Amino acid sequence: MSLRIGIDVGGTFTDFALLDGDVVLLEKMSSTPDDNSLAVMAGLEKLAARRGQSLGEMLTAADAIVHGTTVADNALIQMKGPVTGLLTTEGFRDELELRRGYKEDIWDVRLAPPPAIAPRRRRLTVPERIRADGSIHTPLDEAAARRAIERLGRQGVESVAISLLFAFVNPIHEQRLAELVAEMLPGVEISLSHEVLPRAPEFERTSTTVVNAFVGPGVSGYLDRLVERLSEAGYARDLLVMQSSGGVMTREYLRSMPIRILASGPAGGVVGGARVGAAKSAPDLLCVDMGGTSYDVSMVMNGSAPADAGWNWHHRYLVAVPMVKVETLGAGGGSIAQVRHGVLEVGPESAGADPGPICYGRGGQRPTVTDAILVLGLLSPESDFAGGDFRLSRDGVDGGFEKEVAGPLGCSVEEAAFDCWRIVNANMTQAVRRTTAGKGIDPRGLTMLAYGGNGPVFAAIQAEELGIEKVVVPRASPAFSALGALAAPPMIDEERSYLVSAAAADRGHLGGLWGELSKRAKGFFEAAGFASSEVRADFQMNLRYPGQNWSLTVGVASGSCDQATGDLDAAGLEKTIARFHELHEEEYGYNRHGESPEITGVRLVSRAAIPEPRFGSGPTEEFRDVTPSGERRANLGRGFEPVGIYHGPELVPGDRVKAPGIIEETFTTIVVYPGWQAVVDAAGDYLLLRAS
Amino acid sequence: MSYEVNRRLVRRREPLPSAAEIDAVTAGIIRGAFETICYETATHLGRAASSAIINQSNERNASVIDAHGRLAGLSVGIPQLLFISPLAVRWGLEHFEVDDWGPGDVFVGNDPDHGGGHLPDYNVYAPCFDAAGELVAIQALQAHQGDTGGKDPGGFSVDATDIYQEGMAIPRLKLVHRGEPRRDALEMLVRNNRFPSFSGDIAAMVSGSQRGAQLLDELVAKWGGDAVRGAINWNIRETERRFRQEVEGWPDGCYEADVWIDHDTVGNEDVQVHVACTVEGDQLKVDLTGSDARPELTCVWNTFSNSRGYAMAQLVSMVDPSIVKNEGLFDAVEMVLPEGTIVHPPPDKPAALGAFHPACEIGEAICIALSEILPRRSSPQVYKLGMPNAVIGVDGQGQMWMDQGVDVRASDASATEGIDGWGSMCSGLGNLVLAQAEDAESRFPVLNLSREMTTDTGGAGRWRGQPGTRNIKQVLEPTTAVAWMVSKKHPLRGLRGGADGGPYSNFFEFGTDREYEIENSIQAQLPADAVIAYQYGGGAGFEDALLRDPEAVREDVLDEYVSVEAARDLYGVVLRGSVEASDLEVDAEATRRLREERGRAEEAAP
Repeated sequence: MSLRIGIDVGGTFTDFALLDGDVVLLEKMSSTPDDNSLAVMAGLEKLAARRGQSLGEMLTAADAIVHGTTVADNALIQMKGPVTGLLTTEGFRDELELRRGYKEDIWDVRLAPPPAIAPRRRRLTVPERIRADGSIHTPLDEAAARRAIERLGRQGVESVAISLLFAFVNPIHEQRLAELVAEMLPGVEISLSHEVLPRAPEFERTSTTVVNAFVGPGVSGYLDRLVERLSEAGYARDLLVMQSSGGVMTREYLRSMPIRILASGPAGGVVGGARVGAAKSAPDLLCVDMGGTSYDVSMVMNGSAPADAGWNWHHRYLVAVPMVKVETLGAGGGSIAQVRHGVLEVGPESAGADPGPICYGRGGQRPTVTDAILVLGLLSPESDFAGGDFRLSRDGVDGGFEKEVAGPLGCSVEEAAFDCWRIVNANMTQAVRRTTAGKGIDPRGLTMLAYGGNGPVFAAIQAEELGIEKVVVPRASPAFSALGALAAPPMIDEERSYLVSAAAADRGHLGGLWGELSKRAKGFFEAAGFASSEVRADFQMNLRYPGQNWSLTVGVASGSCDQATGDLDAAGLEKTIARFHELHEEEYGYNRHGESPEITGVRLVSRAAIPEPRFGSGPTEEFRDVTPSGERRANLGRGFEPVGIYHGPELVPGDRVKAPGIIEETFTTIVVYPGWQAVVDAAGDYLLLRAS
Repeated sequence: MSYEVNRRLVRRREPLPSAAEIDAVTAGIIRGAFETICYETATHLGRAASSAIINQSNERNASVIDAHGRLAGLSVGIPQLLFISPLAVRWGLEHFEVDDWGPGDVFVGNDPDHGGGHLPDYNVYAPCFDAAGELVAIQALQAHQGDTGGKDPGGFSVDATDIYQEGMAIPRLKLVHRGEPRRDALEMLVRNNRFPSFSGDIAAMVSGSQRGAQLLDELVAKWGGDAVRGAINWNIRETERRFRQEVEGWPDGCYEADVWIDHDTVGNEDVQVHVACTVEGDQLKVDLTGSDARPELTCVWNTFSNSRGYAMAQLVSMVDPSIVKNEGLFDAVEMVLPEGTIVHPPPDKPAALGAFHPACEIGEAICIALSEILPRRSSPQVYKLGMPNAVIGVDGQGQMWMDQGVDVRASDASATEGIDGWGSMCSGLGNLVLAQAEDAESRFPVLNLSREMTTDTGGAGRWRGQPGTRNIKQVLEPTTAVAWMVSKKHPLRGLRGGADGGPYSNFFEFGTDREYEIENSIQAQLPADAVIAYQYGGGAGFEDALLRDPEAVREDVLDEYVSVEAARDLYGVVLRGSVEASDLEVDAEATRRLREERGRAEEAAP
C-alpha cells in the first residue's frame, strides 16, 4: 500500500494530509516562520504518533512526501535575500527598472517605486550580441566582462543573474559569462536566463531570472535543510516540491530554477479541486479559498487548471514561469471595515491573526469581517472556533462597529455588520468576474468549490450572486491544499521560443526543440525513479496571428514520454493551424481563416502518474431531512430570524439541511442561505444546491 | 459648425430619472460592477485584437456612459483617453430616433468635429436597455487604430493641412443592427485601412462592446433599470461632492502658467499654452484663454474632446486617487477652452498629432500652475516626445510592415514631493506595455542597439527626475523613417525650483559622416544599416537640488543616474572615491561650504 504525505506551509498554519491507501489523516500545526522545517518535523512526529509509529518508522515507509511552501514568497515580501547583481547585454541595463512601462496604479502619482533587488549599480553590461537567428553579431568582450564581474565582486554580490539578448536561441555567451563568474567569484550563486526561462521577450526573461537569483539561495537553503532533516529521520526518497504550475517535481529539478515554487501556495488547492470536480462529475469549477487575509479565486476547466506563463506580477516583480492563475483579493476574515469619506470599505487592510478580529479577544480594536459575521449570528460565541482552540467573544465588538462604522454611517450596529457582509460579497463577486474576464466564461455553468476557514460562510450567497447552481464544500477543506498537493502529479512544463510564420516554419527545427525538451524531462523523471513509459507527454505549440502579443497554446501530440514526439509532417502542421483558428474562435469569437498564423514557440508538459487520494463521488440517491441540534437568531440576508444550527461531525451521507441553516464543522462554518439546501454526499462532502 | 456642436455636446447633463432610493452601499456595489464590466471589455479587446498598439501597448479604454451621455464608470487604460468617449457617444445619442437605436446595436465614431478624439481613436459603443425598453447605459470602447486611411500610413501626417488628408472621419456609423453585423459598413471600414490586421481589430472592438453590453444587460436585469439609474446618479453626485471638498481645502486664488512647444511640424516656433486655474471656495475654474491661435500653425491643434480629457487627467492625478472617476469630475470643474485656439480648433483641422502636443502641454501647464498649492501631488502626466521614430518598409511578399517604435524607454518620469521620478513614464501611462527587442527583431529587419538611461538627463532637484533613455536602432534594409521632434528647446519644466528634465534630441544616420539631427519633422529614406538615435527627455526635478540629501546624491552617483560632476555642479555635493571602485563618500565639509556658496549666489541672482 502506498503511503504519501502532503505538507502545506502557510503564513499562519502548516497543514498535513497523510494518505495511506484510502485512509486520510489531517493535521494542523502553527507555522514556525523563522525555520519552517521545525513545524514540518513536529507535525510529522504528531502524525506518526497518531499512527502508533515512531517518526523514523513512518518516514522509512513513506513512498512520497510532497511539499508546498511560501518560502520564496516570503523572501520577496520581506525583501530578505542575497546581494544580487545582473549581467546583461550592453545597451540593455535598465530593462528591469523600466518594466516595459508598467506601473501598478495609473491614478496615484504617490505610488513609490518597487524595492530594488538589483539597483542600477549592480546591473552591469557586457559588449556582446546574439541575433534573433542565433548568429553572433558581436562576440563577447571578455576583458569588459571581467571588469564588470570585478565591479560586482567589489560590491559584495552573493548571487548573480545573467540575462543576455537571444540567449534562449544561442546560450554560448551566457555560458561563458557563467564560467567567468564562477572563476572570479567562487561560491556566488548563478542564475542563467536560458535555463530559468528560455524564451522571449527580454524583460520577462530578465525579471524572472533576477527574482530567481534573489529567492534562489533562500529556497535552496531551506529545501536542503528540510531534505537533510527528513533523511536524518529516515526518509529515503526524493522530496517532491509543489510548483506554481500545479505540478510537483524533485529538489534536483528545481535546483537551477527555484523560482518555480513562487506563488505555489494556492496551486495545491486548485489541483485538489480539479480531482474533486472530476470525482463528482463537475469538470468546470470555480475554486474559492477564503482564509484569514485573502480570498483566492481560480478556475478549473475541463478537469484541469491551466497554467499561464505570461504577465504574472508578484510582489511588484514580473515572474513569467507557468502559474496556475489565481486572483487574490484582500478579503478574508481579518479584513478591516472602515468608513472613509462617507463610504464603507472592507479590506484590503487586515488585522491578521495577531491581534486579529475584535472577537478573538487578543486586543484587536477594529471591526473585521469575522466580527461582522459574528454580529449577524453566522458564527456564535457559544461554539468552538478554529478546531476548538478558543471561542469567539462579543465583548467590544459592538463598540468597535459603533465607533468605526455605525456611528459614521448613522445606522445600527447590526445594519453596519450587514453592510460589511454585502460589501465583502460584492468585492468577491468582482474578483470572480475578473478571473473569468477575457476567457469569455460564463460563471453560471460552473460548480463552485469552497474551502478555507471562511469560504463556506459565503459560498452559497456568492453562488447566488453569480448564478451558480451548485457548491461543493469538501469535508477536508481545512487542510485542502495539503491534500491537493498529494493529487498534484510530478510535472515539468517548459517552453522554447521559435518565432516564425507558420507558413515558413522549419518542421525539423520544431521537432528538434521538442526533442530537447523531451530529453530534459526524461532525464529528470528517470533520476527521480519514474520510467519514461509512465510519463505522459503533451507536445504543444504556441501560436498567434501576426501582430498579436499573446499566444494560444494548441495541443499537437500526446503519449508516453518514451514514444511520443512532436515530429510533424506537413499535414500535422496544417491540422495544428486549423485547430488554432478554431481555438481563437472559441476564445475570442472570431478568427482570421486564410491568414497564416505566427508560431511563437513550443511547449512540452510531461507528467508522471501517481497514486492519488480518492476523492469521493456525487450525491446519494435519497435524502433525509435532519433536525437541527439548536437554534439562534441570525441574519442570512433577509433580516434576523431564527436559524437552525447543525453539528457537522454528526451528519452522514444522505442527510439534508434545509434553509435557513448553519452547519458548524471543526474548522469551518457552512451557511445554508434561503433558497438553498445542503446535502452530505456519498463521500461525506457537502453539496450546497439551490432548493427546487 | 463644430463650435456649435461642441457647445451642445459639453453642456452639463441632468441626472437620470429614477425613483429608486439608493444607499451608499448599493451605489458602491453597482459602481464596482461597472468597473468590472469595463475591465472585462477592455481585457477582451486586449486579448483579441491583432495590432500591437492595442494588444501590446494596451492602448484601449472602456467606459460606461449613461443614457444622458454622462460618464458612469471606467476601467484600466490611459486616463486621458478614458475621458474621451462620452462626447462621441453624445453625438450618437442626439440621433437616437433617426438612427433607430435598439438592443443589439453597435456604433462607431472617430470624428474630432463630432465629439471624437483624433481619427485613429475609434470609439465603438453598444447600448443597454431595461425591461421597459428604456435606454439605461452604453458600453463604450476606445482604441487606437494602426491606420486611418489617410495619405500616410499610420495616420500621422506631419504636413497635413486638413483632416481629410489624415483619413476617414466617421461622425457615427451603425456597425451592428439588432445583433446582425452590417457587412456593407464593416467592409467600407476595412477597405479604408492599409493594414490587414485592422479587420481583426474592428472585429475585436465590436465583440468587446457586445460583451460589455451583455454584462450591462445582466446587471440591469438583476437590479432593475431604476436602481441602476439611481446608483449612477448617486455616484456622480458623490464624486462631484468629493472633488469640491478637496478644492475647498485649497487656498483661494488664481494660479497661472505658460508652457511652450518648440515648434509646430513646419517650424512655426514657440507654440504657447496658457492656463489660469482659479480656486474660489469649492469651485475650480480651468481657463485656457491666452493659448495660441495662430492660423498658420500646422498639426498642433488638439481636438476639443481631447483637450477636455487631458485637462481632467491632470486634475484627477492631483486629488485623492480614491475619488471615483465619473461625470462628477466634469460637473465639479468649470473648463474654458476658447474657440479658435489650439485647444479648441476650428473645424476640419488635422487632429492626429495634436493628441501629443499641445494635448500634453495642457496637462503640464495645469500641473505647473497648481504645483504652487499642491506639492504632494504635482507630477505632470505627459509624454513630451514629438512622436516615436517609426520605421516602415515592404517585405519580400510586398506587404507593408511598420515598427512603430513604441519601444521600452524612460521619458518624462518626474519627481514629486518626497518621491524621485521612477520607472519608465508618468504614472498615468502605467498600463502601457512597451515593445521588446526580441519581439521586434524576430519580425522586422531592425536591430535595437541600446536603450539605457543617459546619466544627468533627469531634472536635478531635492527630488530627482528619472533620466531619459537613448534609444538606438539600426535598420537592416532600406526603410522610410518618420519623426517629429519637440521638447529640445522647451523640455519638461522643473517644479517649485527643481531643474527641467533633460531635452529631447534625435539623430538619423547616427555615427556616420552623413549624420544629421532632426530639428523638426521628417519623412526620410534610410539606407540599409543606418542607425537612428533618439534621446528621450528626462523627468522634471522637484524643488531646489541644493536641498537634496547628500547621501541620496551619493547613491545616485553610484547608480550613474548622476555624474560626479553634476553632483558637485548641480547638487553642491562633493564626493571622494570613484564609482568604478564603489567607494564613494560624501565630503561633508566641502559639501557644506559649496552649498553655502551656491546658496548665496542663488540669493544674489535676480
